[in-house]
Amino acid sequence: MPALIDVADLVKDFRGFKRQPGIAGAIRNLFAREYTYTRAVDHISFQIPSSEMVGYIGPNGAGKSTTIKMLTGILMPTSGSIVSNGFEPFGQRTRYTRTIGVVFGQRTQLWWDIPVVESFRLLQNIYDVSDADYKARMKRFDEVLEIERYLNTPVRKLSLGERMRCDVAAALLHNPPILFLDEPTIGLDIVAKEHIREFLKQINQQYGTTMLLTTHDLADIEHLCRRLMVIDRGKLLFDGPLAELKRRLWRENAVKFDLKDREAADRLEHTDIPFVTAERAGELTVRLRFPRETHSTAEVIRRVVTTVDVSDIAIEGQSIDDVVKEIYTTNTLVDKV
Amino acid sequence: MRYLSLLGQYSLQYAKVRMEHRADFFISVATMTLATVFGLAVVFLIFGGNRPVPGWTFAELLFLYGYSLLPMALFNVISVNLYQFADGYLIQGKFDRVLLRPVNSLFQILFEQLRVEALGDAVLGLFVMMSVAPRIDVPLGAAQILFLIVAVFCGALLYTAIFVMLATVSFWFEDKVGVMPPVYNLIAFGRYPLDIYNGFLRVLLSWIVPFAFASFYPAALILRGDRYLLHAALLPVVTIVFCGLALRVWEQGVRNYGSTGS
Repeated sequence: MPALIDVADLVKDFRGFKRQPGIAGAIRNLFAREYTYTRAVDHISFQIPSSEMVGYIGPNGAGKSTTIKMLTGILMPTSGSIVSNGFEPFGQRTRYTRTIGVVFGQRTQLWWDIPVVESFRLLQNIYDVSDADYKARMKRFDEVLEIERYLNTPVRKLSLGERMRCDVAAALLHNPPILFLDEPTIGLDIVAKEHIREFLKQINQQYGTTMLLTTHDLADIEHLCRRLMVIDRGKLLFDGPLAELKRRLWRENAVKFDLKDREAADRLEHTDIPFVTAERAGELTVRLRFPRETHSTAEVIRRVVTTVDVSDIAIEGQSIDDVVKEIYTTNTLVDKV
Repeated sequence: MRYLSLLGQYSLQYAKVRMEHRADFFISVATMTLATVFGLAVVFLIFGGNRPVPGWTFAELLFLYGYSLLPMALFNVISVNLYQFADGYLIQGKFDRVLLRPVNSLFQILFEQLRVEALGDAVLGLFVMMSVAPRIDVPLGAAQILFLIVAVFCGALLYTAIFVMLATVSFWFEDKVGVMPPVYNLIAFGRYPLDIYNGFLRVLLSWIVPFAFASFYPAALILRGDRYLLHAALLPVVTIVFCGLALRVWEQGVRNYGSTGS
């Protein structure tokens, strides 16, 4: 079966110009501009099969939003091709946008001044949703997102969490086969985040909706996506399962020991277990780090508890955030699919 | 058909928004009416009394002026978003939302905000035309009225096409560009007989920014007949050419759209 979204060799350049300072500079800008080209997306290729939920991560300015904007037909690619749900997003935009839903965490897609329900009614008309479908879907949205209470409030008066719930619901009102989410949980509290994740998961299971979401919160990825794409400086650095990324980059484990007394802590700080580095984390606390290949966590713990008096143990493993930070800072090409 | 029903929906929603801010609405009605009345007063001050324009009676001048208010009023109903296009849509990134809807983007920009109160000017214009009609020596039959109705719509389309092109300029120059106000002020020139201007202005208003087609020529055809027949006949052609041009320029602009950072 062909992929639902097929991106090949996608490139986007932005043209800017050097701004000269001062009034003389402003006048010079007006007549003689030095144009500069920045490559926001640099030869990216990937495929997404139907019903898959894919996480798309990268530091600020990596090219995530630019990719999403090309996939949704807002921006015209500089070169390369996109076929999504059988359409070429930019060229066939009006027909294509009928078949997708889009959520931008930073900006609402609803009409600012009118009550939420009026926005929904407008969308119902724009997407030709039947009254029966409209009612059924609104009921379903209310069950998980609890939006009923503020349907009559103008969008501008909603809190961020309330607004996001409405935005997600609005993007799904026409039950599109593809949903794009650009930082859907940004700035939300933990309860609102969980509501939205739970809702997206249910929609994916029930309707087989394909989703591509960008996020800075890796918990979103861990809850929703088995597949992850990492982008930085416009280049795709990794494309594969989350577990695979962890396996490749999760080089080190750490265990934190609370010792009975100072003397024990001093001894552990100067441990002679090979390849293990110790650091003092408190008067009675020592953290041991060791490579995953050479030591198992259990073995390290066994060796420590048989030599010194330990009162408490905390296993710290490397967090997914650390893993991703490592990719961003070293900018290593982990895997190119 | 679908677009017609959407237009209804848009206006209904927009009416509700305006209802929320009632004071704003009434102030807007008041200022627009006042501006038009002042404009009319200027005609009285300059052309009234014993200073006639060669070849035109005062009643005829008022007829021209009254007619000019009609296409302008229609255009003003939908013009709001064009004036704030660079600021509101491009710089703030609201244009993203427009592009994500399965509806023509220009349609959305033009009809998302309707300033119904602008139609007040049309009422005033009609009133002026009807008051001076008995003093004008021309028959106003069904044919003439039908022609004027078509011409009013052509004129409104011409204004729209020109200002769409000006708004589109902001796709290329991200800074707010001040090209609209000077062109807007040029509209006023189309309200008076074209033969009072020098050759340069006449060519400019006829063939470059054809505001004379939007207001002067159709009214002049009614008053002078044959002399302006050719121009009146060209009105639909000029309208179609400018609308086509505007659509092409708009499409090019959208291709150049860069969105905002996030």
